[in-house]
Amino acid sequence: MSEDCVLIANRGEIAIRIMNACNELGLGYVVVYTREDEASFHVELAREQRGAGAVYRISSYKDPNEIFSVADRANATAIHPGYGFFSENFRFARRAALRSRPLTFIGPRWEVIRDLGSKINTKRVAKSLGIPVIPGSDSPIYNEMDAEALAEELFFMQKEQGIKHPSILVKASAGGGGMGIEEVNHLDTFKRVYRRIQNYAKRQFGDEGDLIEQCLTDYQHLEVQLLCSRHGEVVHFGTRNCTIQSTGRQKRVEAAPGFDPQLYDYPFDASKVLERMVKYSVRLAKHVGYDNVGTWEWVVTRDGSPYLLEVNTRIQVENEISAAISRIKGHQGPVNLIKEQIRSALGEKLGFKQKDVSFEGTSIELRIVAEDVKRGFSPWCGTISRFDFPEEPWARLYTHVPRGRPYSIPTEYDPNLALAIIWGRNTEEAKERAKAFISACNIQGEDSQGRAIVTNLDYLYERLEDVLRF
Amino acid sequence: MDINLNDLLRRYKSHPFEDYKLETPHTGIISFKVEDGQPVKGPSGKWLHKPGTLLYVLEREKNPKRIYAPCSGEVVHVRTELDGQFVEAGEELLSIRHRLDKDEIIDRILTQVLFIFGAPQRARFFLIPEMATKIERKSSGSICVAPGDEILIMSLMKRDTMIAYAGEPGVIYKVYFKSGDLVEQGAPLLGICSPEKLPYINKVIQRIKTEWED
Repeated sequence: MSEDCVLIANRGEIAIRIMNACNELGLGYVVVYTREDEASFHVELAREQRGAGAVYRISSYKDPNEIFSVADRANATAIHPGYGFFSENFRFARRAALRSRPLTFIGPRWEVIRDLGSKINTKRVAKSLGIPVIPGSDSPIYNEMDAEALAEELFFMQKEQGIKHPSILVKASAGGGGMGIEEVNHLDTFKRVYRRIQNYAKRQFGDEGDLIEQCLTDYQHLEVQLLCSRHGEVVHFGTRNCTIQSTGRQKRVEAAPGFDPQLYDYPFDASKVLERMVKYSVRLAKHVGYDNVGTWEWVVTRDGSPYLLEVNTRIQVENEISAAISRIKGHQGPVNLIKEQIRSALGEKLGFKQKDVSFEGTSIELRIVAEDVKRGFSPWCGTISRFDFPEEPWARLYTHVPRGRPYSIPTEYDPNLALAIIWGRNTEEAKERAKAFISACNIQGEDSQGRAIVTNLDYLYERLEDVLRF
Repeated sequence: MDINLNDLLRRYKSHPFEDYKLETPHTGIISFKVEDGQPVKGPSGKWLHKPGTLLYVLEREKNPKRIYAPCSGEVVHVRTELDGQFVEAGEELLSIRHRLDKDEIIDRILTQVLFIFGAPQRARFFLIPEMATKIERKSSGSICVAPGDEILIMSLMKRDTMIAYAGEPGVIYKVYFKSGDLVEQGAPLLGICSPEKLPYINKVIQRIKTEWED
């Protein structure tokens, strides 16, 4: 393994976290960057640690030819896609594996990414394993009569359950990222919406198939973190709660574990719900032969019913809060899931079993973003002149924003500035520490008109009150 | 705004050139097909469908990409030391010293006469579909805009924002970007001319046409 060299096909803080993991494993690495990211700290750090020869400027993070061309040039043996970009692109993973000079894709096998990348397929397989999924179709519907019959059934079922305002969602099955989704509140309007979405789907995605499912309105968004190996090992690292999101369903504050029944009363047995989610996630992972890190996304309704949403076949931004509360074989200090992910992809055994993993405390992630929360979370662009954070033993900060020199936020990407990972012995302490951390942050800068920088720090502070509450 | 046209024309006549720097569009192994001092031709034909002179070939993942001269002129500053080497994206390779023609001179001088609506941020810009269709059908010179009209879409940090025109009302005389172009902050997007200024603009154009020889 120590002879491997990892090409980091990503940017920002995740590139830095992968660099750290490679260093800890004694692996070489190379990084790529675009012209817009020339001033990013990940570039500076890579030059400092590995020299100019380990840093390559490419035209785009989304051009696979650029990534493979640099991988060959740099004699890389593996590619870490981070999250976003190519991380869930099975064609990219397949190309890496099958090309004349193969490269290890640091993620699950491409067949697994392909099979779980389709929400419909995931739902179908989950259903066959007795795993609860949101009631609705488990294959695209092309026939209006079938669609209407299912819609009628879903409305009837919700009324039976005593839901006062039943509604369903019509989704373009080939869509994604919130595109091509409409809510229907009454059966009378279903046909019109169905036809509209069908036309939209045909126009946008070339496939008019639609999905119809019950619309859940009162729920919490949870995740289960798994780590699997090429040797059939499956270990979970507990649950996370990612309910606090901005408009556009962008996560802003996350916490692990997923619920805290010692602090809050839930209208259901929270420990049992979490246990069920973990059990189901492991069941699906074993069934598909999952072999790397992955996140099983769930929603839990007020009556304590968990429904599997989808599987993210990659490392998540928020992986580290799960790592922060996990201990392996009683060792003090957090686990490094990115390091474990790389080891697993390179063919190593985990070296521990589920019984060796224990949990301690609560961890909270704060996503610090230059955005105006009062104006629909609109991104702010300008130059950062000062970027100070407190250094605490219970906090870790990851950022690509360099300190000691002005930094213009590239307008080509999200205005994410930093991730803060806070740990506390319990939820209350973690929340207090998160508040103290935010209060001690000092971010200064201005836009092209001389107006002061806008960030979401106040918003994060306020939302801490909602962490883990149903 | 009135301009000193005599001065401008004199200045352009004394140095009617612009250097176009060419960079690699992506990574790859480069092999040059031109050398310093060589004259090159830009694309030609009714729809500019005939490529210009072949400048270099960039091979990546066994795919050779042939790069042609985007304009006519003389090749200068060829970085011959890169020949046969792996190059990164955005590497400067050579310049083309291009002699400005009459239309280009008109364009440049008009930026000093028209009201220029510049890019509020460094971002990608698009005309709203209705405006793009109108321009395609009518040509820009007959489309009016007034302050507050939402005519552009700015794509920034993965979000699309409608941009309202701010400036003097008038007709869109010139569109300085192609749909989806990345435009630097402050760079011109639209050149607007108020109706009462049109005769003056036409006079300027006529004068340049008479005095400039290609």
